[in-house]
Amino acid sequence: MTNHPRAQGESRSILAGPFDAEAETTAGVRIEPGKNYGFFTDTTLCIGCKACEVACKEWNALPSEEGKLSGHSYDNTGGLGAHTWRHVAFVEKSGPEGVRAPEQQPYQSSWLMMSDVCKHCSPAPCLEACPTGALFRTEFDTVVVQQDICNGCGYCVPACPFGVIDVSADDGKAHKCTLCYDRLRAGQEPACAKACPTDSIQFGEVEELEQRASDRVDGLHRQGVENAYLYGARGSPGATGGLERLNAFFLLTDDPEVYNLPLRPSRPASRAAPSLAAGLATAAGLMAAAAFLFTRGHDHE
Amino acid sequence: MSNRRKQDIPTYYDLPALNTPHWDWRVSAYIFAAGLGGGTQLLAALGELLPRREGQSISRKGRYISLLSALVSAPLLIWDLKTPRRWYNMMRIFRITSPMSFGSYLLTGFGAFSAMTALGQWTADRGSRLGDRLARLAQWPATLFGAGMSCYTGALLSATSNPLWAAAPRLLAARLAASALATGAATLSLGETLSGRRRNSSRLEGIAALATSASLFLSLWSSRLYRRKGVHEAMEEQDIAAREKAALLVGHGVPLACYALARLSGRRSDTLSIIASLSTIAGGYMTRDAMLKGGLRSSRRPRDYFYIAGRGRD
Repeated sequence: MTNHPRAQGESRSILAGPFDAEAETTAGVRIEPGKNYGFFTDTTLCIGCKACEVACKEWNALPSEEGKLSGHSYDNTGGLGAHTWRHVAFVEKSGPEGVRAPEQQPYQSSWLMMSDVCKHCSPAPCLEACPTGALFRTEFDTVVVQQDICNGCGYCVPACPFGVIDVSADDGKAHKCTLCYDRLRAGQEPACAKACPTDSIQFGEVEELEQRASDRVDGLHRQGVENAYLYGARGSPGATGGLERLNAFFLLTDDPEVYNLPLRPSRPASRAAPSLAAGLATAAGLMAAAAFLFTRGHDHE
Repeated sequence: MSNRRKQDIPTYYDLPALNTPHWDWRVSAYIFAAGLGGGTQLLAALGELLPRREGQSISRKGRYISLLSALVSAPLLIWDLKTPRRWYNMMRIFRITSPMSFGSYLLTGFGAFSAMTALGQWTADRGSRLGDRLARLAQWPATLFGAGMSCYTGALLSATSNPLWAAAPRLLAARLAASALATGAATLSLGETLSGRRRNSSRLEGIAALATSASLFLSLWSSRLYRRKGVHEAMEEQDIAAREKAALLVGHGVPLACYALARLSGRRSDTLSIIASLSTIAGGYMTRDAMLKGGLRSSRRPRDYFYIAGRGRD
C-alpha cells in the first residue's frame, strides 16, 4: 500500500493503518459472522448532543436535511427516514399544569432525550414485505437494503411498525440504517455507537446487551428510578405481536408513545393469510350465488 | 392498565409515528383493474352454465376483458415503482409473507392464462375446435387466478402497519372481492346491453345487484369496526369523508336505485341498465381510491396507530 502524497515523509504515526477488529478496542466486542449484533440505547445516559446523527450522516454520506427550525424543542430532524438513520428525540417535561415540579426525578428529570434508530427486528416486517429480496438478513443478524436490487415499490414503508424505512425521492430506492454493515465487515463498531460520548448507545452481541440492559434497569430501580424499563428486548413492550425481539432496543423512563414508539407493535405478515382467505371465501360465496342465479334463469325457459 | 382513552395517549409533538408510502391514483387504478379483470374472468367461467350461445357471449367478453385488464394492470404497477426499469426484480424471488411478491406472481399467472383463454376464444370464433378446447382448458386456472386477483389486494393493504388497512384485514379483502364481482358483472352487463343481448344483461344485473348489496353491507360493517377499533377518524376528515360518501353513492346507491326502479316499473330499461353499469364501474374505482387515501391519511395520525397498537380494547 502506498502512502497518500501528503503523508509521505511523515513517520510519526503510531498506527501502521486501520487495524483488524477495532471494535475490540472501542466496544469490547469481537465481530464475527454468525453472531447477532445490535444496539442497546440507554436513554437515561443521553445528553442530546446528536453526535450519533452527525456520525451516521458522515460515515454513510447521507444528504443533509433541509435547514429549518421545527419549534419542537431541540429536534429539527423530526424522525427517521431515507436520509436520517439516527434521530435524537427531545421531550421537555413539565410538572402538573405545565409548571416545573420543585422536586425532580433523578436522571433526565425534566428532559427526555432518545436516539432512535432502525430496530433490526427479528422477524423484520420490512424484509418480510420486500418482493425483490433487496432487503436481506446479514451474517450479523442485521437487516440491510441492497441498493442495486431495490426497485422502489415502497411496500416496506407501510410494513415498518416504527416509521423507520423510507423511499428516497432522490434515487427512488428504499434506505435505512444498515447497522454500519461495511464497518462490521471490517471489524469496526458502528459509527453512531463509536461517536456516542456517554455510552448511551452501546453496540455488541444482542444476548450480552440484553443482560447488561437488564442489570442497568435493576440498578436504576435501586437508585429510585422506578419507571425505567426495557423496550424491544425479548418479552418487553415493543417485542410483541410476533416480533420476537428488536436487535436494537432501548431503556426508557416514560410511556413508549412519548418517544413516538407504539406500545405493542405487531408483525404485519400475520394479517395476509386471514385477509386472503376471507377474500377468497367471499368470492366463492358470491360465485355460488351467481351460479344459482344463472341456472335458475334458464331452468324457467 | 394499558387500555387508555384515545385522547389521553401521549404523542411526540403529534408527528407521525409511521412513514407514508408514495402510492397515488396509480395504485388505486391497479387495485381497480385487478379486481375488474378477476371479476370478469370468474363470470366468464360461469358462462358454461348457460345455454351454449348465450353462455358463449358472456365467456367471450369476459375472456377479452380479463386479458385487457391484465394488460392495463401490469404497466400501472410498474409505473408506480420509483425505479421502474428494475420491475423484473419482482420475479427475482418468491416470498409467501409478502402479498406484493405473491401478487406479482398472481398477476403474471392471471395474465398468462387470460391470454390463453382469449387466444382460444379468438381462434374458436374463427371456427377452430382446438381454440375452443384451449379456451375451456385454460379457463380453469384462469378462474383460480381471477379469484386471487379479485381480492389479494386486500391482503396487500392489510399486511402493513397502517392503522386503517390493518384494522380489518378480513373485511377489507371481502369488500374488494364483492366489489370485483360487482364491477365485473356491471362491465359484462354493459357489453351485453350494447350488443343487444338483453336477457344476458339482465342475468348479469342480478349478479351485480347481489354483489353490490354485499359490498354495501361489508362497507357499513367495516365502518362500524373502524369505529370500534378507534381508527375511523381518518375516514372522517373532510376530504376523505367526501370521497367515501361519493363512492357509496355512485358505486352502491345509484346502481341499486336503478335496479329497484327497473324492478318496480316491471320492464327492462336499457338506459337504467347502462347508468347502473357505468355507475358501478366508476364507484368501484372511487371505493378503492377512498380506501387508499384514507389509509395514507391514517398513517399520519399517531394516536390512531398507538391506539390500535396496544392502547385500544382489543
